[in-house]
Amino acid sequence: MKTLKQIWAALLLLVLCAGFVPAYAALAIIVHPNNNLSGITADEAADIYLAKAGVFTNGKRAIPVDQAANSPMRKKFYSSVIKKDDSTLKVYWSKLLFTGKANPPREIGDDAAVKNWVASNPDAIGYVDGKFVDSSVKVLLIIP
Amino acid sequence: MRKKILGLLCFSLAWQALPAGAAGGLEGVSVSGFLTTGATYGDKQLLSNTEAVSQDGTIENTPGFSADSRLGLQISAKVNDEISITGQLLAKAREENSNVEADWAFINYRATEQISVRAGKIKFPTFLISDYYEVGYAYPWIRPPQEVYSSNPITTLNGVDLLARFRFGDLSLLVQPYYGVSRGAQALVPQEAVQAFPICYNAFTASFEPCQAGTVLYTDFTADALRGINVSLSSDIFTIRAGTLETKVNAPAFQVFQDTAKFSSVGLTMDWHNVVLYSEAFEREIEGRANAAFPNQKGSYTTLGYRIGKWLPHFTAARIKDNNNPTTPPDPGFPFVGTPLDQKSKTLGLRYEVGSGAALKFEVQEVTPKEGTRGLLISAPSAAPKDPDDSVMIYGLSLDVVF
Repeated sequence: MKTLKQIWAALLLLVLCAGFVPAYAALAIIVHPNNNLSGITADEAADIYLAKAGVFTNGKRAIPVDQAANSPMRKKFYSSVIKKDDSTLKVYWSKLLFTGKANPPREIGDDAAVKNWVASNPDAIGYVDGKFVDSSVKVLLIIP
Repeated sequence: MRKKILGLLCFSLAWQALPAGAAGGLEGVSVSGFLTTGATYGDKQLLSNTEAVSQDGTIENTPGFSADSRLGLQISAKVNDEISITGQLLAKAREENSNVEADWAFINYRATEQISVRAGKIKFPTFLISDYYEVGYAYPWIRPPQEVYSSNPITTLNGVDLLARFRFGDLSLLVQPYYGVSRGAQALVPQEAVQAFPICYNAFTASFEPCQAGTVLYTDFTADALRGINVSLSSDIFTIRAGTLETKVNAPAFQVFQDTAKFSSVGLTMDWHNVVLYSEAFEREIEGRANAAFPNQKGSYTTLGYRIGKWLPHFTAARIKDNNNPTTPPDPGFPFVGTPLDQKSKTLGLRYEVGSGAALKFEVQEVTPKEGTRGLLISAPSAAPKDPDDSVMIYGLSLDVVF
């Protein structure tokens, strides 16, 4: 009986971990260390990712990069910063892409790949799981 | 058509199958595309010698697949920070005998953060969605309301346009002037004019035939000094636009030379708390002999929808009618007077999101031409041999994909 309870508890814990731990991982919006911005708002970041703004608020060119389509950080970024669902975004980009007005952000890969990309591209802006941040990039905003 | 689509698909697959290293060598090159595959059915045979229901013959009194099916493939490449090039190839099922055509092919120069100049082959925005008319996934209907969208057969120009973008807080303003020429465009010859031609070349059978009612006939024409401007103000919720264009048209088959054609239009679209709204109105004025085949028209439509999760049911009311067309022939020797098209339609549609990047659509449309006339149909429904009624029902089913 006790064993069964323990198994249930372990299962419950596992489900909780699987369900919630990734969602609680902090998201960091990062740029190249030479970028002189000290911060960015979620709305400013969204404008850059939606090609409404091509520059940072300091006037320097901003080139956004995305993580791969199924990555948990991308899901978190789009739900908490861009605030549009997948279908709405696809329609949004279809109108811009197929009329030659703008291209969606380039997909780079996972957290490590995006961090490396941003670290080596002065115009880049990206987002990664907070635990991937190191001195090679500069954090502008943390989404808890 | 099948060969063309297979060719495009193979090309696209081969491209995507390139090893990562090869793709890395092509940094800044992106490939994307869209595909619509659709079926249509019109419930009435309107003439005894043809199954055609719509005036362009693509919707028939038998299940058909040519009205809406098409494939587009786009490649864009960044040359440097300021210059990029874009090409878009389009294969349409409704043009079985023609080759894959380049619908867009331009070089883009980003002069400043606000201003881009594009030169080459460009689809210009006569109306709200003219420049993405072929991308079915980007709008709610199977095909945009024909009472407005069929009125300008010229969709691309060779020339230049300028995109000037300004931001005011949450609002974006786009000012887009354009200038160019159009060569090799084809206009559908109105049924009223078809019988004025002694011998018809039928593009569908690739042969010369006597011109009779129900023959679907296109005429080559060119447009010179095509100039227009599109101004659009948008937020996250709405887009309001207005546009005007003017051009000189030439159609040898109609002995039309340098006649002026003008379009002006306004439009609104909104997506607010699951309420989806589209509304547009236009006027077309055509002078001289060209007016005989392509009379003055005005038209409008309003679409209202409500999004429920993945479902978007919507309703459209549309109208095309006379726009003070002159009632006397443009010159005494000319064989006929322009007959403005006049019809109303009501469309009930349903869009369903199939995952992300694909949508399934179903529509039921009731087309009612003005009594005794044909509207945008091949012939008046009241003249139908068996069922003398004033309207025709058109059913459509389509799948739209972007990739």
